[in-house]
Amino acid sequence: MSKKNIQDTEYAVVMEHVSKIYKLKKKDGQKSNNTERFYALKDISLKIKKGDVVGILGTNGSGKSTMSVILSGISDIDEGDMKINGEQALISINTGLNQQLTGLENINVKGALLGFNKKRIKEITDGVIEFAELGDFLYQPVKKYSSGMKSRLGFSISLALNPDIFIVDEALSVGDKAFAEKCLKRMKKLRDEEDKTILFISHSLPQVRDFCKTGVWIEGGKLVEVGDIDTVCDHYAEYVDKLNAMGNKEKNKMLEEKFKKRLIVDHKKSFLDKLFNKM
Amino acid sequence: MFKSIAYVLKENFTNVYRIFCIARYELLADMRDSKFGMFWNFASPAIQVFTYWLIFGIAWNKPDIKGVKYLPWLVVGYSAWWFIQPCIQSGCNAVFSKINVITKMKFPVSVLPATICVKEMFNHFCMLIIAFITLACCGYFPNVYWLGILYYALCAFCFAEAVSLILSVLTMLWRDVRKLVTSLMRMLMYFSPVIWECKFRASMPYHELINKMMKLNPVYYIVNGYRDSIFYATTPFDHPAMTLYFWVVVIILFTIGCVLMYKFKRKFIDMI
Repeated sequence: MSKKNIQDTEYAVVMEHVSKIYKLKKKDGQKSNNTERFYALKDISLKIKKGDVVGILGTNGSGKSTMSVILSGISDIDEGDMKINGEQALISINTGLNQQLTGLENINVKGALLGFNKKRIKEITDGVIEFAELGDFLYQPVKKYSSGMKSRLGFSISLALNPDIFIVDEALSVGDKAFAEKCLKRMKKLRDEEDKTILFISHSLPQVRDFCKTGVWIEGGKLVEVGDIDTVCDHYAEYVDKLNAMGNKEKNKMLEEKFKKRLIVDHKKSFLDKLFNKM
Repeated sequence: MFKSIAYVLKENFTNVYRIFCIARYELLADMRDSKFGMFWNFASPAIQVFTYWLIFGIAWNKPDIKGVKYLPWLVVGYSAWWFIQPCIQSGCNAVFSKINVITKMKFPVSVLPATICVKEMFNHFCMLIIAFITLACCGYFPNVYWLGILYYALCAFCFAEAVSLILSVLTMLWRDVRKLVTSLMRMLMYFSPVIWECKFRASMPYHELINKMMKLNPVYYIVNGYRDSIFYATTPFDHPAMTLYFWVVVIILFTIGCVLMYKFKRKFIDMI
């Protein structure tokens, strides 16, 4: 019991042999009795300390977004154990904005979607307006906004969340550099002053190096390396360079091999079998 | 089972502000879409009622129903239907249309059907205003029995919420459900006493049995309830068996909806 308590206070996220499986659709016209399933994440064991700032790296399709979805509690895991201490929130930028409504109204809409009450929305409105730098566009419908403006608005509203664990998925790769800088500054404030746990998913190595303390590298659904951010970043950069240096053929072959490793092929059970299994 | 009911109820009641806010701004967005906005919330049901009245009331010359002229009779029944039908139809889409939100945010999915019902409640009030104006023109003025409408509106709300809870989950499992429901809605309308009394003539074989079976439809209770309160000065206590039957059906439907919702609440993201 006492051991468990230590864990509670020390770690924000504890994952043990976590896997996530997606079902794949059959290719058209192919009739076989096998359903194909696919490991989006395979056997990941990971512990994240409270107050840690973790950068999650990986190439496209390696399972980073699945990771963020699982960590934020939106999706269930299929195998393994996961424990999250504290409330987590995924920072999503463009979701929940209604194209027809004005910026000001959208603060209410997204605020309500995120679960703020009326008082809290009033409290944050001024801060959001200031942070998003919309000027007179505040009273224009969001459909007239440029994509940068939309992300600025969305991001500023999301920042009003106050969870213990922030999960940021590619959030800072939108908007211009000045705004990204501003966001990063704000995130740093969260990191340094409020001691939040932040999971930061990004492609931009400089940003990750600058911002995070610990690095996690996922490749092909598997955990490759966990450690100090600089070491992990170096190794990841090396890997990306190697990948870029490869010829197209070589690359495709490698990708295919990787894909095959993640596949699980099993025989389709009949409906009755499934029913009996459930019972 | 009780766990899932408690879960859904808790999620809905702790998020009342969220439900109203979403419903309000969704209505607002709908209105912004068109130039006349709110006008259509009144105009489209009015045009529908007018059409049915032209065809059944004028062209087919429908006789009075238990001493009530066809137009006022129709307008009251149709206002109940104008709430139930869009609730069920867009209730199917409740979760699916918000897919981009629930996959990107931690969101209490079970409140979505309620947002649809609250939104349609507003349209229902618009329709009721039209109905009251028509009734006043036909010489019916409010009395104390009209308060029964509040009770029946609550009935309709609970029924619509329960049905859309089920259908919204089923639509996520099979997209076909929505198409099926859209086609079946027309049928449901003719099997409910919306534009005709749903009573077969004595010349038809087994007409008594069929007429009794018609009453098994929960919509029958709601639509006739509206009319009872306005024209016939009856309260829900005047037919206790129907009232009991209706609430049993609603509770069963709601339970099924809760169980489904609880079971799939975190699986929706994998079903896209």
